[in-house]
Amino acid sequence: MKKYTLKRILTSLFTLLAILLVLFILMKLMPGSPFNDEKLSEDMRAALYAKYGLDQPIVVQFFKYVGGMLRGDLGVSYNISKNTPISQLIQSRLPISIRIGGMAVTLGAVVGLILGIVAALKRDTIFDTAATIISVIGVSVPSYVFALGLSYCFGFKLKWFPMLFSAKAVTQSSVLPSISLSMFTMASIARFTRSEMLEVLDSDYMLLAESKGISGPALIFRHALRNALIPIITVLAPLIVDLMTGSLVVEKIFAIPGVGSLLVNAIQSNDYNVVISLSFIYSAMYIGIMLVVDILYGIIDPRIRLAKEGN
Amino acid sequence: MKNTKSILALGVAAAMALAATGCGSSAAADSSSAAASDTSEAISADAAGSSALNIMLETPVESLDPQLATDGTSFEVIANYTDGLMQMDADGAAVPACAESYDISEDGTTYTFHIREDAVWSNGEPVTAADFVFAWQRAVDPANASEYSYMLSDIGQVVNAAEIIAGEKDVSELGVTAVDEKTLEVKLNVPVSYFLSLMYFPTFYPVNEAFFESCGDTFGTSPETTLSNGAFVLTSYEPAATAFELVKNDAYYDADRIQLPGLNYQVIQDSQQALMSYQNGDLDTTLLNGEQVDQVKDDPEFTSVGAGYLWYISPNIKEVPALANLNMRRAITFALDRDSICNDVLKDGCAPTYTAVPPQFAAGPDGSDFSADQTKFSDVCAYDPDKALEYYEAAKAELGQDTFEFEMVVDADDAPQKVAQVVKEQLETTLPGMTVTLTIEPKKQRVEDMQNGNYQLALTRWGPDYADPMTYLGMWVTDNSNNYGFWSNAEYDAIIDECTTGDLCTDPEGRWSAMYDAEKIVMDEAVIFPLYTQCNAEMVSSAVSGIEFHPVALNRVFKDAVKAG
Amino acid sequence: MAQAAAARPKVGVLGDVESVNAAFPDHTFTDRDFQRKDNAGDIKIDTNFASQSFWKDVRIRFFHKKSAVFGLVMIVVIVLMAIFGPGMNEYTYSGQTLAQKNMAPRVPGIENLGILDGDETISTSTGSKTVNLYKEKELDDVYYWFGSDNFGRDIWTRTWEGARVSLIIAVAAAVIDMVIGMSYGLISGYFGGKVDMVMQRILEVANGIPRLVICTLLLLVLKPGILTIVFALMLTEWVGMSRIARAEMLKLKEQEFVLASRTLGAGSFFIIFREILPNIIGPIITQVMFSIPTAIFTEAFLSFVGLGIPVPQCSLGSLISESYNSITTHPFQIVPSIVVMVLLMLSFNLVADGLREALDPKMKGM
Repeated sequence: MKKYTLKRILTSLFTLLAILLVLFILMKLMPGSPFNDEKLSEDMRAALYAKYGLDQPIVVQFFKYVGGMLRGDLGVSYNISKNTPISQLIQSRLPISIRIGGMAVTLGAVVGLILGIVAALKRDTIFDTAATIISVIGVSVPSYVFALGLSYCFGFKLKWFPMLFSAKAVTQSSVLPSISLSMFTMASIARFTRSEMLEVLDSDYMLLAESKGISGPALIFRHALRNALIPIITVLAPLIVDLMTGSLVVEKIFAIPGVGSLLVNAIQSNDYNVVISLSFIYSAMYIGIMLVVDILYGIIDPRIRLAKEGN
Repeated sequence: MKNTKSILALGVAAAMALAATGCGSSAAADSSSAAASDTSEAISADAAGSSALNIMLETPVESLDPQLATDGTSFEVIANYTDGLMQMDADGAAVPACAESYDISEDGTTYTFHIREDAVWSNGEPVTAADFVFAWQRAVDPANASEYSYMLSDIGQVVNAAEIIAGEKDVSELGVTAVDEKTLEVKLNVPVSYFLSLMYFPTFYPVNEAFFESCGDTFGTSPETTLSNGAFVLTSYEPAATAFELVKNDAYYDADRIQLPGLNYQVIQDSQQALMSYQNGDLDTTLLNGEQVDQVKDDPEFTSVGAGYLWYISPNIKEVPALANLNMRRAITFALDRDSICNDVLKDGCAPTYTAVPPQFAAGPDGSDFSADQTKFSDVCAYDPDKALEYYEAAKAELGQDTFEFEMVVDADDAPQKVAQVVKEQLETTLPGMTVTLTIEPKKQRVEDMQNGNYQLALTRWGPDYADPMTYLGMWVTDNSNNYGFWSNAEYDAIIDECTTGDLCTDPEGRWSAMYDAEKIVMDEAVIFPLYTQCNAEMVSSAVSGIEFHPVALNRVFKDAVKAG
Repeated sequence: MAQAAAARPKVGVLGDVESVNAAFPDHTFTDRDFQRKDNAGDIKIDTNFASQSFWKDVRIRFFHKKSAVFGLVMIVVIVLMAIFGPGMNEYTYSGQTLAQKNMAPRVPGIENLGILDGDETISTSTGSKTVNLYKEKELDDVYYWFGSDNFGRDIWTRTWEGARVSLIIAVAAAVIDMVIGMSYGLISGYFGGKVDMVMQRILEVANGIPRLVICTLLLLVLKPGILTIVFALMLTEWVGMSRIARAEMLKLKEQEFVLASRTLGAGSFFIIFREILPNIIGPIITQVMFSIPTAIFTEAFLSFVGLGIPVPQCSLGSLISESYNSITTHPFQIVPSIVVMVLLMLSFNLVADGLREALDPKMKGM
């Protein structure tokens, strides 16, 4: 197990480095420069390139960047917040994004599980169909439309929750964004839970449990759900990272000072350093979560560990 | 089909409701009563501070460093807590601020400003002439690569500014000196008639050197690293913040004038959310998009304020043979129905424009608007499909071609895309055989394409930097970096030269009429196809009065704003 | 026996029994030798366990599931509308009539029932009012079935045109990423070891970079348009497909038929694409059905961040993001595109579900 874990961590680090290199090259391919305003002259642009070291060969820039990163220095923003260290920009924003993302995942997972279980238990009935429709609508209505709808109904008309994010009332003002963000998670979890539950319900040990006289909630929660949950963890992991994509839009609508809106602004204004840093953090989160899931999974289910060690 | 539709629409609504109830209960589960009381607290807290003005911003602040900032949002916020030598009055004219008085030498090339005794920074230090010298030297220092450094060189004509920017001289040679603690002397190469009005532009604002040095690299990134000598003090801010606050500066020399206890800024990038927030009472002023104007046009709180930007189409005269043809350019400009663009599509109050210099920002020696008369070039720029066809036929004959295909680069923003779609339709229907394809790009990319001459038609805009027609006319000089069409005309160059550095500098009336001549050349040659002058559709609460809107430099000034209640 | 088998085809060529007899002199054939033995009545066919082909089985199971059939019918209807819808009235998708902008839906016939008669209730800050632009402008013969947008373009035409573009993008992207992802996964899984290791790392890198970053770069480098969007979607969506293909490959590659084929001298690529591929076509098709709605959705997201199909062309996504700006002013404008989008996604998901269960009732969800 130790050897496997170590190997996984090493390959993850290698992958991250490769991602960083690819991001760097992609940024170089990007047409246009961060310093492109009507009012900048050719000389001034050259001066800005020199100032930020962008006139050096890409290899030099890359190693400088990696070197800086190891010291915790992600460089400065060129455009969206001139000369501000990116670490400072991210420091205050990442927790907000993670908080809202966390609320959304929790909400999505709970509602999704309930929908999935109901659908599986009442297979091929009206409940099943309703659960399917709800979950499909959840994935097919774009989150920005959903967000605006929620904001209109519960923020503007009913005034239950604030429409905009506010640092003074974080909990209430996170409610609407979290709901709009949770739809995708909810739908995916509901669909997956349903198929997992169906499989477990059909299995022999359920028959055995039933024949031993266990019934009702105990049967479902102690036996069926428990076994269905393990594979659900694996889909939940990439979903958590997928939230970031959704958050780009939701953060814009609810005026949330998170990393998603920062990334969109940075891409649109060619702010290389910010794009690279945020993409890298996203990648690191993704690979980190996959790593943790893999290792956890190995602990929960020995069959997988053995199979992978044998590989 | 219709039935299915409405049922499904109901389904969507039901799903929304369901999801929301689901969440409502789960939120209630963690802290049901606590959450409720929290909400009311938050609201009452807002109510207590109700006389602070709640202002909507469309984009976050890019920089609070006065010499590095380049966007209107940053300028507005910087000006809230920093005073320059001069400030804008309600009509946009320059009146003394930090400078209590000024002297101008006979030849008009030396300005001496006398700084107020009671002008102090919020850390108690007096505002001195040295603060201005330091700031101006920063602006031209090539190491800082300040985008607006040309305000000192090409536009302000401060002695040695151009040489310093080009790296030929040291910053200490800049033609600005602190004669004593409170006296600042500025030397210009030539007389500049609008020089005083430059003094309210944030690039010319003072920076306290000792404070700047103490901040290191973090200057202007938090309330602690900004220093105020203006009407308000920054109390909460972080880089690219979506919400931040300023409170009234009690140490401000003109503190009695300031009625507002503070300003609360909120960045909202979605205009529908913004309007709903406004209607909920969370904002006192907000920006609208054109579609929303239908909803509020009868509302007394709705106003449309000039934003200064001239939107126009720039043809690439050098690279595209068909556009090098004057008849073709005239055909296009006559085919554009600017009224329809403004009234049917944008609807935000923008003004159809038929001049190269937009109206309502530049007042002449006699106080009249340079471009008040929009019909002065009606023989070369108007909406007239018949004339358009006439010129089009002539162009076709000259070019020996029946069909034309043009590509137009357009910013990936909402309004430009709308305008471009109408322009495409207008050109294609009025001028048969012409096809316009739209290339939608992020703004930075569009600018780059234009700078490289890699475009055919471009929908672009230009905002005035100072209240003089030269801010536009200077663009079309041969080899100007903003002359994207690479149009060149010796006569035009000579007039502009005469107006900026020549004899006409000291003759305001002569200069004014020379600029008319220059504009006429641009319009006759159809160097650009002006479309409209941008307006911002805004809601301003009826409880609020005294917000000044300007098309130049500072878009909003809150010094005289009052909020009832 | 071998002789007879070889001879039999000749019957037709030679034409009659005589000529056959001439060819085989040591045996006398009669007409009866060439007639089928008609003994169907004598044979007892086991109708309880009727032998059926796999695909017939799948078809029956699929059509047994009502939701799947509903999905299939909806897809067919939407596809037909996407083909014929834009031609059903006189409007074009890009033709603007600025004098007739923001008209509420009005349908001949139904208008007499009091709905869809061009009335629109506009809520303004000074109270709500009901207007009928058709009456105000005296346009008695003008009908916009779904209303018109803020350029006076017919929303009906644009909706179906958008559905067409979205379907083309989605199907193209799904098919291309099927080919690429499948090949990648199959090769990676089949060769295993170092090849697999390297290919999986590459995949991880590709998957680790945010989709938005890749799409933005592509759309900036290439000229925006349908092809570019398909390309961008393909680059980001193939990963899921290759995972499934690889997993299936790992399951199958140790089986006897593969061993048999290899023993007979088949090359690796023959085994991968001719022996194994046909066995995993089921899960692959299911995954394609799931990836079509994902592609439609991703395209919609790209439209929202301003990277979608260039105006005035439209897709469902760009229609939604355009009319999004008028939700609070003219809500009717967003309804058609959202409804078609939801129906399309729902249908593809239902069909995919049905197909998955039909192909393998025991198969796990992916």
